[in-house]
Amino acid sequence: MMRWFHAARRSEAAGSVAIFAVLFAAYFVLKGSHYSLFEAGNLATNVLPLAVVGLAQYFVVLVRGIDLSLGPIMAVSGSLAAVLFPLGILPAIAAALAAGLVAGALNGLLVARLKLSPIVVTLATMSVWDGVALIVLPVPGGTIPPALQAILTTTPSFLPMSLVLLAAFTLLGSWIMTTRFGLQLRAIGGDETAAEASGVNVRRRQFCAYVLAGFLAACAGLYFAISTMAGSPIIGDGYVLPSIGAVVLGGVPLIGGRGSPVGVVMGALILTIIGSLLYFADLADFYQSLINGVILIVVVGAAAVRDWAREALAR
Amino acid sequence: MSEITPPSSSEDRRWAFFGFLSARAAPLASFLVILLMLVVCNMMAPGFVSVANIMQIAQLSAFLGIAAIGQTLVILCGGIDLSVAWTITGAACVFTQVSQGQSDMLLPALAAALAAGLGAGILNGIGVAKFRISPIVMTLAMNNVIQGVTLLYTEGTPSGSAVEESRFVATGYIGPFSVLVLLWVALAIVVIALLRLTRGGRQLLGVGENPLVSYLSGVRNDRVLISAYALSGLTAALAGVLYASFSGASFLGMGDTFVLPAIAAVVIGGASIYGGRGGYGGTVIGALSLTLLTTMLSIINFSAGGRDVIYGAVIIAALLLNRFTQGVAR
Repeated sequence: MMRWFHAARRSEAAGSVAIFAVLFAAYFVLKGSHYSLFEAGNLATNVLPLAVVGLAQYFVVLVRGIDLSLGPIMAVSGSLAAVLFPLGILPAIAAALAAGLVAGALNGLLVARLKLSPIVVTLATMSVWDGVALIVLPVPGGTIPPALQAILTTTPSFLPMSLVLLAAFTLLGSWIMTTRFGLQLRAIGGDETAAEASGVNVRRRQFCAYVLAGFLAACAGLYFAISTMAGSPIIGDGYVLPSIGAVVLGGVPLIGGRGSPVGVVMGALILTIIGSLLYFADLADFYQSLINGVILIVVVGAAAVRDWAREALAR
Repeated sequence: MSEITPPSSSEDRRWAFFGFLSARAAPLASFLVILLMLVVCNMMAPGFVSVANIMQIAQLSAFLGIAAIGQTLVILCGGIDLSVAWTITGAACVFTQVSQGQSDMLLPALAAALAAGLGAGILNGIGVAKFRISPIVMTLAMNNVIQGVTLLYTEGTPSGSAVEESRFVATGYIGPFSVLVLLWVALAIVVIALLRLTRGGRQLLGVGENPLVSYLSGVRNDRVLISAYALSGLTAALAGVLYASFSGASFLGMGDTFVLPAIAAVVIGGASIYGGRGGYGGTVIGALSLTLLTTMLSIINFSAGGRDVIYGAVIIAALLLNRFTQGVAR
């Protein structure tokens, strides 16, 4: 028991798991009566795009970067798929994911290879991909095969597909972090010079982190388009802050090097549950962005307060 | 970012002139591009280059230019302000809703709007300087907070209208000169003088160049940072008031189109995004060239999507130009 307790204390995701548990309990009570697998599936469907784009942001933040263009990349991949689905399911999905790889490679080239500021570069590519999405699909719509939507979102008899996908992406992220590549990313975030000195090709790994982020963002955009039955060129801006929010709430410091994918997925769940709680509490949409902003400031600010307290105690 | 850069070999005076030029490559290049664009515009729409038209473009640039004052200051001290969008919208809504178009409410409304912007800026500054929150997260989160507060304040539909006097400032002319452009020129002179001639201006650049050295030289870094963010909120609010006066009313999302151009204007102006280098003069040129670009794209009926793509490409081009002419990758 104690051993488990210590392991949980060491785990970087413990805090966010605890917050999620409390919020989930509140959600459970407010909902009253029962909680079914169907609703778990619904929650997973709602949280999946944010969780996956949060993972994308996580890999970039891990190497001390930031990517503000992930939301617009989602918009491009979703719009592209919605336009191309009439040509066949596989080409559409391939094009959507390829768009994410290209977008990620462009960011990686500019940030990792040419050493430009990640904030301004991704702000610029954010504008570029927002524009591309509008060119591909001027108004929300397009075609999504109903069968695909049914498979990926609705609940079969025993296990909702969205829940399976959520688990799969979480496992994928966690698996990446156990590989040599993941360890190198962590090392770069911890101390770039030390990582370089111990033989890590810093630029190439940073480049890969941006490409991976672009790919994951494309997956998120694709799933969002499929689950809502329409591509939308304007969803991008709505995911910029939440993707960073999920990372921060997941206990990942923005100076990189620490944190775990499980924490990020928990962060996404926390943000989504707060949205549902606001809905139950019958608070207008107005509060959603206000509360998202306040939570983010409080969580990041609290880290500073904790550091002060630690310093004061150490003295 | 904290790498030590070797002292530049300033002994060689012959190179000083080239150094001067290359440090200003982006604003110089964009100035040439402005001239080129004017020629092209004149060919596509004969008579485009006239005093009246150029004054009109300067007038349109003024909103961006004024909103970018704060962005310049914040970027010079090594930060960034992404809360400009809703600060502009929020201040504009406060202005029109308090004044309700009544001239006798002009001063209270102006004061309320500017105070709102100043308050948001001070909060940004406290978050960044005191709580060490990264500027992107702090100002992006603050943007959401201001959005929420503005929606609650206006209940989703901004009301009221601009005042006669403020409409004159935003749209009126004295002789051939737009009042707004005169105001912008005055503000630009003040900002450039503050940056170049006062202790505060040098401290701002010092904090951006190297916070540790600045701190060890006895500068109160946190005060400098908070002042920069406060001024950013203030100038964004002023831009919002002027833009609402120009349009006659405020509307939700009116500030959204300013965020990227404001940062782009600063980058095109040759300021280092890592702080410490640059000034407001470059930003003025950046604002003029971006407004001219927008005007030209709308003359040739470019789609909104295409415009976004070009905007992004222009910022990346300016970044690359700065990177290769200023040399130091920090």
